[in-house]
Amino acid sequence: MNKSKILRFIVFAGIAGVVIGGGVFLYMFFMPHRDVQATKADFTFTGSQIVSEYLADANAANEKYLSADGDSKILEISGEVSKLSEDYDGQKVVLLKGKNDKAGVSATFTPETNKNLKGVIVGQSITVKGVIRSGASYDEDLELYENVILEKSDLIRINK
Amino acid sequence: MKKSILSLAILLIAVVGFAQTTSKLISSKTHVKFFSTTPAEDIEANNTATVSTINTETGDVVFSIPMQGFEFEKALMQKHFNSNKFLDTKGFPKAKFTGKITNLSSVNFNKDGSYDASVEGELTIKGKTQNIKENGTVTVKGKTIEVDSKFNLTLVDYGIAFKDGKPSTNIAKTVEVTIKAEYAP
Repeated sequence: MNKSKILRFIVFAGIAGVVIGGGVFLYMFFMPHRDVQATKADFTFTGSQIVSEYLADANAANEKYLSADGDSKILEISGEVSKLSEDYDGQKVVLLKGKNDKAGVSATFTPETNKNLKGVIVGQSITVKGVIRSGASYDEDLELYENVILEKSDLIRINK
Repeated sequence: MKKSILSLAILLIAVVGFAQTTSKLISSKTHVKFFSTTPAEDIEANNTATVSTINTETGDVVFSIPMQGFEFEKALMQKHFNSNKFLDTKGFPKAKFTGKITNLSSVNFNKDGSYDASVEGELTIKGKTQNIKENGTVTVKGKTIEVDSKFNLTLVDYGIAFKDGKPSTNIAKTVEVTIKAEYAP
């Protein structure tokens, strides 16, 4: 291998390094948020099931459903609509709660998915999908049961 | 006579019972914001999943904040925030404030208006508890009560420290926290 060939190789390797490094940097910097709705649900169950799992052992449930980087499990949950409201950002919030349950599942929608709740009323049974942010538990300072919180939610279907 | 005493007693019990059930108001319409500013960049995170209660009789105020509910503009920042190097939100899924309005006599929950409130209590983040004393505003409008507060938090007080690398230059040592909650009966 002569000198010019070695030089050419070094220059080429250098450029490749800069391009790859820059690409990785740009990817990290502009890394998009996970698209919850485009991702397959990790678990499918009823609101009552996840609530009772959390009330039985919150630590075990956190271990199972929460991720250290915040991209926690995506849940598809069915239940009865017990309340419809709106948060400060104008996002719709649906509370799914069984009549005999101590806590429910509160699902916050997004500006894009809000419209899908049109026509949904209290008492209906629906299925929603979203990412879990925190579990259900009794809080002795609030003196009430906190709901399981889902965000980035969308309506999957109306069951009846 | 006996009848009127009896009915008065029933009325009294009803009023007292009613007052007890309505003195504690719950809010799930909340907004908690973190804002950090450094010459390198401004970082903001928003949370609308917090639950709060206010007791208009005793002045007790409680906020329970699900830490994974903080949303950042950049996905990588959100991952850092949640990771065990920073807030460890898997290990400590909730932050909590329990406190009391200390100047309750100057807040009239039954009259429309905006009142300055002093709040004192304990804030627990990432398992570390600190006493804090902050000011806020209580706004009464009909049956709705809104609480607003803005204060500064020193991160190292809660065991959140950045020794080197990008976080140490891009994240402020003291961040501004804005809290807003609407309580409806």
